[in-house]
Amino acid sequence: MKYTNKEDIIAIEHLRFQYQREEDQETVTAIDDVSFCVERGSFTAIIGRNGSGKSTLAKNINALLLPSGGAVYVNGYDTRKEEHLWDIRQTAGMVFQNPDNQLVSSIVEDDVAFGPENLGIEPEEIRRRVDDSLRRVNMYQHRKKAPHHLSGGQKQRIAIAGVIAMRPQCVVLDEPTAMLDPKGRAQVMDIIEKLHKEGITIVLITHFMDEAARADRIIIMDRGSVVLDGTPQEVFSHGGQLRSLYLDVPFAVEMAERLREEEIDVPEEIIDEQHLAAFLCEADAQSGKETSQEDGGTPQGDRRGEENGRDEAQIDESRAKSEKSPAKSDESEAQDGQRDERYAVEVSHLRHVFNPGLPFESVAVDDVSFRIKKESFAAVIGHTGSGKSTLIQHLNGLLKPALGSVCINASDINSGQIKLKDVRRRVGLVFQYPEYQLFEETVLKDVCYGPLNLGMTQEQAQQKAKRAIELVGLDFEEIKDRSPFALSGGQKRRVAIAGVIAMEPEVLILDEPTAGLDPKSHRDILLMIEKIKRENHITILLVSHNMGDVARLADQVLVMDGGRLWLDAPPQQVFARAEELSEIGLGLPPATGFMLLLQRMGAPVETSALTMQEAFAEIIKWKRGEKRC
Amino acid sequence: MLRDITLGQYFPAESPIHRLDARTKIAGTFLYLISLFLVRSFGGFLIALLFLALCIKVSKVPLSFMLKGLKPVFVIILFTFILNMFMTQGTVLWSWGFLHITKEGVYSAFFMVVRLALLIVGSSLLTLSTKPISLTDGIERLMQPFQRFGLPAHELAMMMSIALRFIPTLLEETDKIMKAQMARGADFESGNLLQRAKSLIPLLVPLFISAFRIAADLAMAMEARCYRGGDNRTRLHRMAFRRGDAVAAATLTIYLLILLLQTYII
Repeated sequence: MKYTNKEDIIAIEHLRFQYQREEDQETVTAIDDVSFCVERGSFTAIIGRNGSGKSTLAKNINALLLPSGGAVYVNGYDTRKEEHLWDIRQTAGMVFQNPDNQLVSSIVEDDVAFGPENLGIEPEEIRRRVDDSLRRVNMYQHRKKAPHHLSGGQKQRIAIAGVIAMRPQCVVLDEPTAMLDPKGRAQVMDIIEKLHKEGITIVLITHFMDEAARADRIIIMDRGSVVLDGTPQEVFSHGGQLRSLYLDVPFAVEMAERLREEEIDVPEEIIDEQHLAAFLCEADAQSGKETSQEDGGTPQGDRRGEENGRDEAQIDESRAKSEKSPAKSDESEAQDGQRDERYAVEVSHLRHVFNPGLPFESVAVDDVSFRIKKESFAAVIGHTGSGKSTLIQHLNGLLKPALGSVCINASDINSGQIKLKDVRRRVGLVFQYPEYQLFEETVLKDVCYGPLNLGMTQEQAQQKAKRAIELVGLDFEEIKDRSPFALSGGQKRRVAIAGVIAMEPEVLILDEPTAGLDPKSHRDILLMIEKIKRENHITILLVSHNMGDVARLADQVLVMDGGRLWLDAPPQQVFARAEELSEIGLGLPPATGFMLLLQRMGAPVETSALTMQEAFAEIIKWKRGEKRC
Repeated sequence: MLRDITLGQYFPAESPIHRLDARTKIAGTFLYLISLFLVRSFGGFLIALLFLALCIKVSKVPLSFMLKGLKPVFVIILFTFILNMFMTQGTVLWSWGFLHITKEGVYSAFFMVVRLALLIVGSSLLTLSTKPISLTDGIERLMQPFQRFGLPAHELAMMMSIALRFIPTLLEETDKIMKAQMARGADFESGNLLQRAKSLIPLLVPLFISAFRIAADLAMAMEARCYRGGDNRTRLHRMAFRRGDAVAAATLTIYLLILLLQTYII
């Protein structure tokens, strides 16, 4: 065992960490006998679901928490020895999840200077380090700005600059991309890789498998212990185990597994799309003549019994169901006077201007028209700042349009015919991170807040609340009298969503309902939304950055760009326009992206697949059917 | 949107006043405000006004910006004016029932209003020409001598700069929570005073929880970046008195001398 090697930058020996839980004074063991070393200059990713102990581990490396048992050595210094505290924190810098809550100063360069100032470094040297650090994270041109004028990704890069200005040998990042949009994530990941190339040891804690795949070592934690530890290839080859830990498996790995079941012999070391595609095309060229295998007929579906597999199958199934009545997006615009009963939402020529008449006036939404059919599932995509949030806030009257109209179930909500309360009841809006709006002493009271505001009696409200709490998948009797603040992250979010469901809206809008959740909670929330839609027969409008989710769930996709509705079409049509999408900063669902990659490499495949299942079927068709070349 | 609000009321410009050391400006403003209380005649105010006009001219801050500072305190100024006008004893000029206006009252009403206006405009020149962050740095440095008497100068300045940093964040948070509760049918606008106060609970509880969460996160982030109080801490921006500061000090001294001469000798 090499974990006694104190030469390594980080050496963890039989680390145990316990703390007292506040509600019941119970002793919780967050980390139980963890031992490993991190080599100098390496890039290690630590993965685990919420509550697996990975953040606690990170804080132990930085001496923000001290071991209850065992020891942690950073650069040879024992973290329990107080005299080394500042050496340790300088050697192993730390970047946290929330970009807002770790910046100290209201000017970027002053914030980067904060660490060196604390170390008592001479002003000239601080200046050099600040400029150098800001250049390394590509933020030098923003050095005089205030943090609240920057995007999440930019703020996170400032936080990284603030750490590297202290000249650490190692940077520990605790879910640095969890709260960022895809663009911000990509920027931060690029900076992390760059720092690694410059020789800084990286420890990256993350939920995202594609980020972990960029590391040279992955450590998987569960319930306070290390479950898997190895290169990405080694770790991803345990697909089944990852699933049983409720973790995601990268697209290419899962696809390779399925292909292997169909006797296409994909080597184990292939873990990314690029190599898998190259392999498939090459194998095709080589064994072209021999592929006249037995007529296997239709490819086998999902045979695996793991929970995750079933989840996806379930989602696929419900998608197939909703496809029977495809909601054709109407090109013709909603005309005044001709309200159509078939539509839940009709928006016509909507325009919204912020700060009208002021020098910083800005048009947030301009000339947007669309219709959403009753009981359909629509999605809004667009990069941050494209006007998505402004748009959805018009649908329940939180914002009033400067021009144009919004109709819900054929009545104009701004015409004065309907009361505002009625609009709020009909259109439920779940904001991002809805758990931050919880405020009551008990879950039941909190969920009753909406119904009571609508003028229901206490009894009615409680009835609605009970139904809503059960609908979001929580045990009503068990949870109703608990404080919402004592729940886990995923549970809090469910309670917050129940608070909106309890008002029994006809249209439910969810703004990034899975933001910041781990893969398991992410899947669970999506399944829950599907269930709510089925059982309450309502229309769903989902705002999401996750193209895979959008492709799987939506019948209609609204693409926003620069305040305008760029496209309104079914997902197949939207994702067929890969290049144009990438121009406006949007990606593709993994399956579509992979098929496109295959096609570019010369494979004769259709690129219309939206899900793993469809992509798999298409590849099998190609492999079985083609006898040429 | 809320993120567009300007913090404090700093007016960015390149001027000799902007370039002055924050300590000079704070001390100078302090002395100027004291001088206004020494003035006993309109002649004195004329001198004070001329000096202020000179400073404003040099600072390149538009006059309209300066006068904006008077707007929110207009009611107070008016109140002072009326109170002085009617409550001062002396030679009666006009009376109606129990109300009378005296000669002394008119005099003191105008006197107080001019003093108040000069006080406000004078101090807003400081905040308009100094970045909030330099202001807190300056206050920290000026308070340092009092540290030995137990005044936590560094901590106070740190608190002020953190407050400045997080005002926009908390405003955004407030906006978000308010909208989220409105989407759940909350009504913050109608009802009587008690109902309105009660309707704020769903806003204030999450806001406080947010504030505590931010505080806990920030404290941890500061610790991770080796923050350990003000001892042995260096600063990126070194404060240094330059020639401009000497010129400013000299000008201020001349103004004070003239004012004292006018008030006590002539």
